[in-house]
Amino acid sequence: MASGALIAAVGQVGEGFFKERSSDTLPCQSKPSHLFCFDWARENIDRFGTPTLQHFEMVVVAVVVGFAIAFALALLAHRRRWLQPPLLAATGVLYTIPSLAFFFLLLPITGLGRTTAIVALSAYTLQILYRNTVAGLANVPESVRDAARGMGLTDRQILWKVELPLATPEIVAGLRIATVSTVAIATLAVFIVAGGLGTQIYGGGNLTFPTSIIIAGTIAILMALALDLLILLGQRVLTPWRRAVRA
Amino acid sequence: MTTGEAATEKASRTGASSVTYRGATKRYPGAETAAVDGLDLEVPAGEICVLVGPSGCGKTTAMRMVNRMVEITEGDILIGGDSVREREPARLRREIGYVIQETGLFPHRTVTENIGAVPQLLGWKKDRIHARAAELMELIGLDPALGDRYPAQLSGGQQQRVGVARALAVDPPVMLMDEPFGAIDPINRERLQNEFLRLQSELRKTVLFVTHDIDEAIKMGDRIAILHDGARVAQYATPAEILMDPADEFVEDFVGADRALKRLALMRVRDISLWKAPLARAGEATAEVRARLAEPDVEVPYALLVDERERPQGWLSGRDLAGERVPERPDSPLGPVLELDDVMRDALADLLQGQSQYAPVVDARGRIDGVLSVEIISEFLGSPEARSEERGAAERPLGAEQPGG
Repeated sequence: MASGALIAAVGQVGEGFFKERSSDTLPCQSKPSHLFCFDWARENIDRFGTPTLQHFEMVVVAVVVGFAIAFALALLAHRRRWLQPPLLAATGVLYTIPSLAFFFLLLPITGLGRTTAIVALSAYTLQILYRNTVAGLANVPESVRDAARGMGLTDRQILWKVELPLATPEIVAGLRIATVSTVAIATLAVFIVAGGLGTQIYGGGNLTFPTSIIIAGTIAILMALALDLLILLGQRVLTPWRRAVRA
Repeated sequence: MTTGEAATEKASRTGASSVTYRGATKRYPGAETAAVDGLDLEVPAGEICVLVGPSGCGKTTAMRMVNRMVEITEGDILIGGDSVREREPARLRREIGYVIQETGLFPHRTVTENIGAVPQLLGWKKDRIHARAAELMELIGLDPALGDRYPAQLSGGQQQRVGVARALAVDPPVMLMDEPFGAIDPINRERLQNEFLRLQSELRKTVLFVTHDIDEAIKMGDRIAILHDGARVAQYATPAEILMDPADEFVEDFVGADRALKRLALMRVRDISLWKAPLARAGEATAEVRARLAEPDVEVPYALLVDERERPQGWLSGRDLAGERVPERPDSPLGPVLELDDVMRDALADLLQGQSQYAPVVDARGRIDGVLSVEIISEFLGSPEARSEERGAAERPLGAEQPGG
């Protein structure tokens, strides 16, 4: 019953692409050996605008939601150590589900569209974000924590004023990996009609006409690099002590 | 003025409170024996009390009970008469300086921010924190220009100085120091110890100082508590008392067979009675000098050449005295010259290093006061007072070096 709905949904999606693509006039068709068709690119560059925005939005929302959840879980596990193994296992299981399967598993619950994509993409970020945050907090030198406590900082003050700042590099490292991988996985969101750059990659005629794939892929790579750089810059601002050179 | 006010005023003037352990006990769940077993100890205000003992004796635990880093199972600890158990731990800790071996400086905060950590918790204004940090950096001998550095940019010694400054930030009446200089190289450790003692002579805090190093304990402590397992006090006394009169075999062993030598570290040259050397001045008739040397009670068989202000110039040899007049330049070099305030142990080292039997001792103005010899020291170490134990192994090599002439 559910699988029937799935097949129908995928059918719809495929049909959508096909229709979209078939309404185009494809230049460069006389020379199919061409990897990249500049004429087509020049004429059709506009069609990448909306998917790029959708893609960006999906990635940002997914990472922010994922980070919020992972961060909360990590803080909880930091206080209650016994929660660490089960939480790691749970986020690990989520991470091992193949992306497409995950999307389709969610269909009966959240239906087609952006929500499903964001839920799945967020779930994928949990593992790395959770693990890095827990590790970052655990790697704060015991002597620093002891001194902080001995000076009269409360547990909450130790967390926010000492442990989290010192864990920032590891947390940010997780955030970078999570963001970059989410940019990549989000291209699959097209299969649940959530839009994004995937629409320009998994189109009907693209196997014989790769120009669209190349453009969409390039945009995805640039987006990943830009987000990565942005987060890295954020870290440098947040952790000035890391750049201080030993005298 | 009520007595309460008087006490408060006194405490703020001396900046210290006494610390009293009253049967303080720490029992960890599941452990057979108590880590700290009914400790009774009274640390007078303004003194350094060193807790020393073998590892695992509970000295650090005992110290950490004061600021409730370790919760007290039974008994109590009073600071200036008030029970720490009735205080909220975080607030209590802000009033107690805390220095640990690994410094525990915040790597992500500058030196100024580190020093200002507790003031910040107490809601001080930024200007006041900066002023206080600068003041403390000067006090502990750190260039205030280092205020904007991060701990990783400082040397180990500088980091530990910042650690001490941070503990002093709000002028706490009590300081806890857990092997504060343990991770520092010997030369810098000595410097930091001396600086801290100088600081303490001004600040007069009540300090609980944990170490496993008996030499450090002897140097730093006004009083030393030597602890066995369960932080049971084997002896609680001044360093001199512990060296002179160890309470039992455990203390003897812990202090070490060289405790006679260690006593030398506590003494200054002025504490021992020196010999008089026959003095001679340039141009004086040698016959007179020779006559002085021939007197029956002469202690030093050489004449010391001094200038018009009685500052030692050199030892006169037989050849110097062979002429008619005492020459201006003596034949043999002067060798080490000691001062009355020199520590005896260092004086002995100077003597041995200079390969001389005698060294003139001068006062602060450089005037000759007397002569110290290896013989004086070995006689002192061999005296009944110093030889209250039989197996003073360390004394024998010294005795062997007794000059035969």
